[in-house]
Amino acid sequence: MNRDTALPHPSGPYPPTEAMLAEPVPEALRTAQAERLRNAWETPKGWRYVTAVNNTEVGKWYCMTALVFMLLAGVMALIIRLQLAVPENDLVSADRFNQLFTMHGSAMMFLFAVPMFEAISILLLPAMLGARDMPFPRLSAYGYWCFLIGGIFVIGSILFDVAPRAGWFMYPPLATRDEGPSSDIWLLGLSFIEVASIAAAVELIVGTLKCRPPGMRINIMPLYAWYVLVVGGMILFAFPPLIAGDFLFELERSFDWPFFDPTRGGDPMLWQHLFWIFGHPEVYIIFLPSIAIAAMIIPTVARRPIFGYSWIVLSAVGTGFLSFGLWVHHMFTTGLPSISLGFFSAASEAVVIPTGIQIFAFLATLMAGRVKKSLPMLWIAGALAIFTMGGLTGVMLALAPFDFQAHDTYFIVAHLHYTLFGGMVFPVIAGVYYFFPFIQKKLLSDRLGRWAFWLVFIGFNLTFLPMHLTGLWGMPRRVYTYPTGLGWDELNLISTLGAFVIAAGFLIFVWDLIRPKHRQPQIPRNPWDGGTLEWTHDVPEEAWGVRSIPHVTSRYPLWDQPKMLERIDAGRYYLPDAEEGRRETLVTSVIDAEPIQVQRVTGPAWITHLAAGFTGGAFIFPTFHWYPPAIICAVLAIYCIIWWLWTDTARPPGADTKDAGLGLRLPTYASGPASVGWWAVWITMLGDATAFASLIFGFFFYWTASPGFPPEGAAHAVPLLVALAAGLLAASWALTLAARHLNRRGGVIAARACLGFAPLAAAGGAAAMIFSVLPLDPASHVYPAILWALAIWTAVHAGVGVIMQLYCLAGSLFGKLTPRYDADIWNVSLYWHFHVLAALVACATMGLTPEVL
Amino acid sequence: MTAEHQPRRDEDQAEFSEEQASLLKITLGPLIWAGHFVICYGLVAVTCAKDWDIATIRAGLLGFSGAALLAIAWVGWTSWRQWNPRETGDFVNRRGRSEDRHHFLGHAAFLLSIIAVIGVIFVSLPLVMLDSCR
Repeated sequence: MNRDTALPHPSGPYPPTEAMLAEPVPEALRTAQAERLRNAWETPKGWRYVTAVNNTEVGKWYCMTALVFMLLAGVMALIIRLQLAVPENDLVSADRFNQLFTMHGSAMMFLFAVPMFEAISILLLPAMLGARDMPFPRLSAYGYWCFLIGGIFVIGSILFDVAPRAGWFMYPPLATRDEGPSSDIWLLGLSFIEVASIAAAVELIVGTLKCRPPGMRINIMPLYAWYVLVVGGMILFAFPPLIAGDFLFELERSFDWPFFDPTRGGDPMLWQHLFWIFGHPEVYIIFLPSIAIAAMIIPTVARRPIFGYSWIVLSAVGTGFLSFGLWVHHMFTTGLPSISLGFFSAASEAVVIPTGIQIFAFLATLMAGRVKKSLPMLWIAGALAIFTMGGLTGVMLALAPFDFQAHDTYFIVAHLHYTLFGGMVFPVIAGVYYFFPFIQKKLLSDRLGRWAFWLVFIGFNLTFLPMHLTGLWGMPRRVYTYPTGLGWDELNLISTLGAFVIAAGFLIFVWDLIRPKHRQPQIPRNPWDGGTLEWTHDVPEEAWGVRSIPHVTSRYPLWDQPKMLERIDAGRYYLPDAEEGRRETLVTSVIDAEPIQVQRVTGPAWITHLAAGFTGGAFIFPTFHWYPPAIICAVLAIYCIIWWLWTDTARPPGADTKDAGLGLRLPTYASGPASVGWWAVWITMLGDATAFASLIFGFFFYWTASPGFPPEGAAHAVPLLVALAAGLLAASWALTLAARHLNRRGGVIAARACLGFAPLAAAGGAAAMIFSVLPLDPASHVYPAILWALAIWTAVHAGVGVIMQLYCLAGSLFGKLTPRYDADIWNVSLYWHFHVLAALVACATMGLTPEVL
Repeated sequence: MTAEHQPRRDEDQAEFSEEQASLLKITLGPLIWAGHFVICYGLVAVTCAKDWDIATIRAGLLGFSGAALLAIAWVGWTSWRQWNPRETGDFVNRRGRSEDRHHFLGHAAFLLSIIAVIGVIFVSLPLVMLDSCR
């Protein structure tokens, strides 16, 4: 696709020979290189520390913030348990209780479990891949600041007694009719955080595909990277339906468009579908990366390579797919046809197979190896035991008739806590103990860790094992109190006591994390004798990530390539230097990780804070219906992001190639599919397309669900204007594409002309789209409302497309975009490929379906 | 470093040039499962909502399930040949040569097509066992 580029290709010997690697680096050169590298990657000091974008800093903040939110949500759980300790208790009011359980669930899911995956991956993945940093450090930082602002906003609402209170899944009509801002806080606050999640997913997928060390082909990358790839992909397909649902939901809350109101043709079931298409894969989005930590720890403690690497890849990919076929098992009692229930019941049973395979692979590794007992292994063992219990009740609940009985009882509460504690909390804590020497260059206490484990493990079973029985004896979930004499009293008291035992265990764990460790002697570099690249880290800490990027030929390079560590430290491998004093990392090919480019990465900045702050304003002000400040914030956020892209991304480089070490010369600029930016756009747009598909799904859902859609004699979108919109948007796409081709061939003036007319066509298309639905009243019925939603969606995307076209035009005029350096226009035309497809589908749905349906 | 011969860049590309395609191929089996799943669910949902003839739809979908199984079997067969454990005698492909990557992708695609077959059979069972929307 990039055939006719004028840019140079990589040149020089690759792969390196043993003789090249054995040649020593002169001492003076080595010191000078290390000094330059240290300066380029120096972490900002003092109050500027918060401008850091290095993955190690952002990852640490991310982890600590998620931990704090988890502890707050845990305190809410303790209050819930205190209220339920005895019958007819009046510690908190019914309304406060509703807020507590809604926030407990929402915070644990959106503010702890998913962000924790992103946090840990941002922190660890570059090290496992021997990369200096993630490909887009400022994107991670932006995501983090969005998460922090959104998280404080959402969780803080409980202090003002306005927290969301309709359950963590916000079912309409309860949530749509709820007075006050509580539901809006949930919708807008969490949508904001979902944006951060998608940003992290893009970052992690591109990092895994394009930033592996030379030689690390796809069959020898660490299993953690496979899981990241799968989970990143799942986020792209799971979160957008929820964002589309939030979009519809917020339109109903703010402007009374009846998407979920059955009196005007809407259907609350659509929300349940969109929510659970997100909500079920979400469980696996939480579970898989945590089990990935186990896949890193188990080979180390067993002191042998993982047993059945490809079987684990199979189970990760297989679970990722199958988990999308399960969502209706949360809706078994909604009266769907029994054959439909059968499909989901069958898929829910099928997902057990890949999940089971990975657990058997772990057990086989442990049996075949010489296990060295250690604290991380203790937590992993606890995880496997608890998760297996949760899995077994899951198999029971996947059978629809059993679910009819157990639905909405404490049996479900017990089941989901067994899966989430076993599948997420225990493995993550195991990971904290295992990776702490890597993260902080200190060790955690073995004694405190054992205390914490046994308290949490015993407390957990004390709390949740009795709940199975409480549920089978009929106690419903989400009741703030219960009468005595139903046999629930003792069981609830035991659960409450157990909850405090868990809390005691967590207190010990957190104390161990934060207690001062100045007096601890310097730790060994590889305390567990691990075999993967993160254990080549520098002790004491260096901010450069890796001194030189190694050539990897094995799954456990530290075990199989004995001279590697010494050569990394000597700067014998790739990119041992930062001659221009800039931050750089190596970009390699997707499958075989052949080095193809030296990528400059961005450094510390304030612009990410500004962008995140204004984005926050754009989401938070509408909660209180303050639209003018929200619009101002949105404009400023866009301005900040453009500034950040313009000043620091895809600038024409000083020199076309540079020496990457070991005689290899690599290009410093890439555009189109060779560049990381193009991949990021591609992945982002995949998520965007999923959200759009969810809206289209909504349209056809209304058609199947109700005989009166579209209603008899309803007004339709003006056909002529819809056709005009389709034509103009397609013309704008064609002009963008023409601009790319002309520019590449040196026709700069013609390309500029195309880029001048393209935004006009796009703006005209967007206007035609809005005018086509202008005569319709969206508050009257769901049919005009969904047409309006499609028109707004398309028009807003066209608006973003206009900004991008103007950005390229400005780039061409000011010398940022030239026939040789044309990454921007490649990325923009990729955006337009997706947009024109979505626009044509939207126009076909709006203009043609009235004839057909 | 492994002492044996590492193929040079051009050699590598010529011999295993289908590599991009085989990364997609490992998802092919699960994608067929997903397509099968969505079509079964969607068609049955519409049939039950609009009172179409469920018996015809059931028969059609069972035929479709058979076709999906055949398609996955074909994916499984080609990936078995790519993995080729009988000739290489290597079941784990843990080394870092391009042949290992080539066989590994076949292996992963093969295992995933087995999972996909099981998934399709599971999802077809309700069509066999239940005969109405009730």
